[in-house]
Amino acid sequence: MIHTYQIITAFMGSLGFSILFNIKGRKIGYAAFGGMLAWVIYLLGGLWLSGEMMQYFISSIIVTFYSEICARIEKTPATTFLTAAIIPLVPGRALYYTMSYAINGRFGDFAEYGSHTVSIAVAIAAGIMVASSLSRVFFAVRSYEFRHHSM
Amino acid sequence: MLTKELLSYILDIGEQMLVSGAEVNRVEDSISRICKAYDAKRVDVFTITSSIVVSIQLKSGNTLTQTRRILKYSTDFDKLDRLNNLSYYICAHTPEAEYIRNEMEKVGTTRIYGPVVQYLVYGMIAGSFTIFYGGDLNDVAVSAAIGMILKLAITFIQRVDKNVFFVNILCSFVVGMLGFLLVRIGIGHSFDKIAIGNIMLLIPGLALTNSIRDIISGDTIAGLLRLSEAILVALSISFGFGLVSVFVGGMLK
Repeated sequence: MIHTYQIITAFMGSLGFSILFNIKGRKIGYAAFGGMLAWVIYLLGGLWLSGEMMQYFISSIIVTFYSEICARIEKTPATTFLTAAIIPLVPGRALYYTMSYAINGRFGDFAEYGSHTVSIAVAIAAGIMVASSLSRVFFAVRSYEFRHHSM
Repeated sequence: MLTKELLSYILDIGEQMLVSGAEVNRVEDSISRICKAYDAKRVDVFTITSSIVVSIQLKSGNTLTQTRRILKYSTDFDKLDRLNNLSYYICAHTPEAEYIRNEMEKVGTTRIYGPVVQYLVYGMIAGSFTIFYGGDLNDVAVSAAIGMILKLAITFIQRVDKNVFFVNILCSFVVGMLGFLLVRIGIGHSFDKIAIGNIMLLIPGLALTNSIRDIISGDTIAGLLRLSEAILVALSISFGFGLVSVFVGGMLK
């Protein structure tokens, strides 16, 4: 049940950020759906992947591809969709606990949670990097083919 | 023909793109494409998060150089979309400087969502993430209310000083204090869920995604600048919460 709530609220969270980032019209829908997609993939990943980092990694790869495709459909920068859609993956909770342990002087827990937060951030960054690089190659190849056909 | 006036408008486009949330690569690319479209012999653009420098060599042999210092960012993807389309149009049709000036005026007056919507959205985001991380209905109500107060706080604090770190420290302090008080009174149940919902509003998500995208496109300097800014913002959020725990005598659970 918590997962259903999470999927719905991931949608609403990304929807909210799309409005704050002043995304207009149909693009809001794409961005908010992207946020939901991010969390669905994360949860599905949990079924057969071992390790939370892999879940974040795969999920951010798919969301980045999704944003690149939406960007081509809507002819607008991919950042528009990616920024709003990646929000549910942002490690807010891990960051909070890291900080709270630091404040309370529980340095063992702090080190554990701190490295956890950093590793999530790295996994997301790596996912975006991999997917962006791949889609660059993919779209470059496609436009190259396109030019040669049209000539 | 590239004139000083025209180059200044082209830089306006680049500046506004960067401010609205474009990656450095897009800004540099747009500026150099436009300049090339106007028959510049050579274009050198250098952009980092806080500055744009453009130097162009004309066919006549003269050189024009202009720079812009960027002090303030405000994410607006609708504006970015319009600027992007405008820059494609300029590349294809190379219109007069007058036309670009008029278009830029139109872009400058794009509509943003009204204040009521903004307040509601702050509440909605904070409430959503409180449920997302497992809060109950009381927590959601408290969190949404604090989210709206947070928007109010941001508006006021930004009038005093626009420094990002200052704003974030004070905002997270406000969130922490309110959350603590409301939980102490007994309206809210778990302080951590309420705090996390509101932290999501402060977290520098855009800076993080753009910094990674900058690094991939080869703009390592700009990417690292943005990344360190994101880390500093995250730290200042923690300082704000640290301040709360000083006031309430330790133990924020």
